[in-house]
Amino acid sequence: MESELLRLKQEAGEALDTVKDSAGLEAFRIQYLGRKGGLLTGVMRQLKSVAPEDRPRLGQLANEIKQGVELRFEEMKTQLGGGMQSAAAGATDYSLPGRYLPFGKLHPVTQVMEEICSIFEGLGFAVAEGPDVESDYYNFEALNIPPHHPARDMHDTFYVTDSILLRTHTSPMQARIMENQEPPLRYIAPGKVYRCDSDITHTPMFHQVEGFLVDKDVSFADLKGVLTAFTHKMFERDLALRFRPSFFPFTEPSAEVDIACVICGGSGCRVCKRTGWLEILGSGLIDPEVLKMVGYDPDVYSGFAFGLGVERIAMLKYGIDDIRLYYENDLRFLSQF
Amino acid sequence: MKFTLSWLNQFVSTQGVTSTQISDRLTMLGLEVDSVEELFADLAFITTARVTEVSKHPDADKLSVCTVDNGEETVQIVCGAPNVHAGMVTALAKPGVKLPDGTKIKKSKMRGVASHGMLCSSRELGIDGDHSGIMELDAALTAGIPLIDALSMRDTVIEVDLTPNRPDCASVRGIAREVASFVGGPLQPLVADITPLTGQNVDYEVVIDDAELCPRYTARKLKNVKIGPAPEWMQQRLSAVGMRPINNIVDITNYVMLESGQPLHAFDFETLRGKKIVVRGPKTGETELVTLDANKRTLDEDMLLICDAERPVALAGVMGGLDTEITEQSTTILLESACFNPVSIRRTARKLGIPSEASYRFERGVDPNLADKALERAVNLMVEYAAAEPESGGLDIYPGQKELITLQLRLERVNRLLGIDLSLNQVAAYLESIEFATKELDAQTLEVQVPSFRIDIEREIDLVEEVARLVGYNEIPTSQPFIRMDYPKRDAMRTLRQETAALMTAQGFFEAINYSFVSEAHLDLCQISEGDERRQLTRLLNPLTEEQAVMRSMLLPGLLENVCRNINFQQPDIRLFEIGKVFTQKQEGELPEERMYLCAVLSGLRYPQAESLHFSEQKGDFFDIKGLAVNLLQTLRIDEGAPGSMFTYAPETLQPYCDPQQALVLSPQKTVIGTLGAVHPKTLKGFDIKQPVYFLEIDLDQLLKIKRAPKQFHPLPKYPTVKRDISLVVPDGVPAGDLLQAIRKQSQKYLESAEIFDVYRGKSIEAGHKSVALGLTYRSATATLDDKTVDKAHQKIVKKLMADFNARYREGSEV
Repeated sequence: MESELLRLKQEAGEALDTVKDSAGLEAFRIQYLGRKGGLLTGVMRQLKSVAPEDRPRLGQLANEIKQGVELRFEEMKTQLGGGMQSAAAGATDYSLPGRYLPFGKLHPVTQVMEEICSIFEGLGFAVAEGPDVESDYYNFEALNIPPHHPARDMHDTFYVTDSILLRTHTSPMQARIMENQEPPLRYIAPGKVYRCDSDITHTPMFHQVEGFLVDKDVSFADLKGVLTAFTHKMFERDLALRFRPSFFPFTEPSAEVDIACVICGGSGCRVCKRTGWLEILGSGLIDPEVLKMVGYDPDVYSGFAFGLGVERIAMLKYGIDDIRLYYENDLRFLSQF
Repeated sequence: MKFTLSWLNQFVSTQGVTSTQISDRLTMLGLEVDSVEELFADLAFITTARVTEVSKHPDADKLSVCTVDNGEETVQIVCGAPNVHAGMVTALAKPGVKLPDGTKIKKSKMRGVASHGMLCSSRELGIDGDHSGIMELDAALTAGIPLIDALSMRDTVIEVDLTPNRPDCASVRGIAREVASFVGGPLQPLVADITPLTGQNVDYEVVIDDAELCPRYTARKLKNVKIGPAPEWMQQRLSAVGMRPINNIVDITNYVMLESGQPLHAFDFETLRGKKIVVRGPKTGETELVTLDANKRTLDEDMLLICDAERPVALAGVMGGLDTEITEQSTTILLESACFNPVSIRRTARKLGIPSEASYRFERGVDPNLADKALERAVNLMVEYAAAEPESGGLDIYPGQKELITLQLRLERVNRLLGIDLSLNQVAAYLESIEFATKELDAQTLEVQVPSFRIDIEREIDLVEEVARLVGYNEIPTSQPFIRMDYPKRDAMRTLRQETAALMTAQGFFEAINYSFVSEAHLDLCQISEGDERRQLTRLLNPLTEEQAVMRSMLLPGLLENVCRNINFQQPDIRLFEIGKVFTQKQEGELPEERMYLCAVLSGLRYPQAESLHFSEQKGDFFDIKGLAVNLLQTLRIDEGAPGSMFTYAPETLQPYCDPQQALVLSPQKTVIGTLGAVHPKTLKGFDIKQPVYFLEIDLDQLLKIKRAPKQFHPLPKYPTVKRDISLVVPDGVPAGDLLQAIRKQSQKYLESAEIFDVYRGKSIEAGHKSVALGLTYRSATATLDDKTVDKAHQKIVKKLMADFNARYREGSEV
């Protein structure tokens, strides 16, 4: 028994050395390791018939030999399966590339949008999303933009019917959320928005993130504080900020927020049109009319709202210079971020 | 709104303030400066020069050889102009200087005579169209000074991007008012005195139908007008801000509009029938009006018209009529300075698609108290530059006169809303700097009278904004709001989307974002039938192109377009996914249903971008996309216990854009949530794709409804497994997966798992059959299994399989 085991060990070793391909390896497996008729398997079965006092010793030996053969078998299998390279080269050629399956990536717009959301989520804002196809009421009227208001010129609107349209901004979520809840409120609303405008600097669809906060005693100074905190986090440095009066019918006072140009640092370049500043978001205190329309008393509650364009921020963060690239979904573009 | 600095200085002195400072301050006051441009910047190096001697060119009749004093030295210049003569002062471009058209002047020889520069005509310098000879300047001028200074043409054009709430700044004087607030200088009035519009000795009549639509109408008649060009300086200012000079009367109306913000219109009085002006809507039968631009406009009942006794003669506040326009022959004119309802003007301008400088201002609101002042200003200019003789009286019909608005402004409100600490006096001073009158009601409250030109100020909050603007937003401190701590609610769909996207990218898929609006033809390419819900489309009334005319009802077409594009750019190995909304117009006239979908496509190599050194050039196939679905759903803990039961194969329920030979319906927990498989070759052809594409689409709203298994710990097994393999030969038509299902169905208590590890057809297997190799794993939770127990369990399973599937052992195979 013992000698047979040792003979088998040697035979199997020699047989393995002569194996050149996976067919040969399979033949080897059937001959030595097959569950039925395999030589090693057979020897193991014979263990039942040896003297009880020899069984532990022989059993251990048999197991060691079998495991040894199996180990070498597995090594050989890996070698043969791994292609010609490893089989041919005795030693590893470290200069050859590693083996991996490349991960995919999120679209840069999604990445930036998620980053914006997560910054505000960290400040305690909840995220809500509304419909892309919106009523005139929520898109305009509830935001203090009655029909024939010149501010409608600022929104080149796609219409579905006279009273249904593709939202031109994510601000309708202000009214939708406020009419169903009581302050204090902290929300951001990311999403797609649409304007019928298409040229080198405009795509007819783009992404915005709307945000607002309503409570007692919310001031313009608070708006400045929150947006400054956000901007510093978003651009990962304490960029200079500039708040500049502007006009939105649903905020008063209204402010555009400019950051010191991330390209030239404020000295003036082509990207900032030599002003040293880049406009990144619109904001303001929520107009009392908007608060009244959802049933809040503007003498008790105040709040601020802001909206920012995701594509623009992605362009600034990543240096993308052509907005049309966003929606061509070219893998050479998508794989860069 | 464009203006020039010299024009601005007519109303407020900006001495000592640079154009950059002015534009920065305006921007910070909410009047965003878009551009600041030096006028005639391209003439910076053109100078004056004196011609001292002129002689004939020896070899050319038309050329003269001139001796020219350029201010620094005397040079010789050859000139072809007929008007060149000794003693004249003209414009010189020295060698090295570029003309506005880009020509670079060089030292040269003309017919053998050296020439050191060029004497220029005003057309060559882009000043005007005169090319009859070189410029003849004031002979008293010094040689060598910049031409723009010699002509007093140095000026700066500033363009402000006005927000719709500030029509008062759609005028040079309005801008000057804002500038005065920070330079501190006095603001000059538009006119010094006003001739009272008495209505006496007037031989015409003005009737206003509706005071709401026309609150005020003022008019003056002017006789013996000499039509001709406007003065040079006026033409220059108009050109500088982008308005084309026409004749003195029209130019003066435009000039006064730009200066004051009040649009004016001049009628040829002789063409007005019945000596009467009626401001009204169209009467029955009045359906058309030919406007100044010779276009025939269709009238509708909402449009406000200026009519004479018989017929419409102008679209009020939008554009004048052709019949009554000022021509070379006009001698008597009626000058209109009126105020119209913003909404009415806007509606008309929109409907007819005529945005004009006048309608721009009326739409946003013109100060009704401005009409008489602007009229006076225009009359004065016409007297001076068109020899006009105004009739002494004039008409001022003002049915819509309103009291000035008075508002109460609470100091506490200003300070609390802005987060600052101002005194009542400070607030009052800020408001007074822009012509608001204030009165202290008590220590905490101001009474503020709003000037009529600020039609945007109606409420206390509007005053708060004015204060903020004048303080300067950047002077307001920053603070953080105090707000109750509260954990924000998480939107379940958003979470699912994030999870799904993370898993898709981990599987090598790149996220795509396509437009939500698509071509309706996509549905035809996907062979979507007429009755299909996806044909209930949300259509845009005003799409940019037919390619973007309907809201998408499926995601696959957009991704197929992306596949095509990528292949065309030599990237044939593609893994893309998109998570986005699809739209179904369930009910006309209502908001469509919006549902969130996931769609993924896979084409080309199984391992795109991976080293072919390590991976052979295997192509992705049906099983890659099926595996993706299983992997995704299992990771989301939508687990059936067995992956196979997530799917149903029923050819009649497959989507028409699937290859019916390679597609499955995804239906975990008996709920249909999507489809996967190969895209139908016909559809691929439609999208111009010549290689197989596999796709997966899942309705995420449905997926969200499916119950996900809770995370629950199971103790790790203590005892080893025992494996048994079998190879069975079964008829070709038997799906191998059914064997697995059948094995699992037997619920043998020691069976832990079963897998298919090989399917083989060919040699040694009879025709019409295949061999399926299965690996079964047994384990007991309470003991190490012995061979006998396993064999017994295994035999039972195998026997049942053989009976159910008409199977037999593969010869030579081991059990």
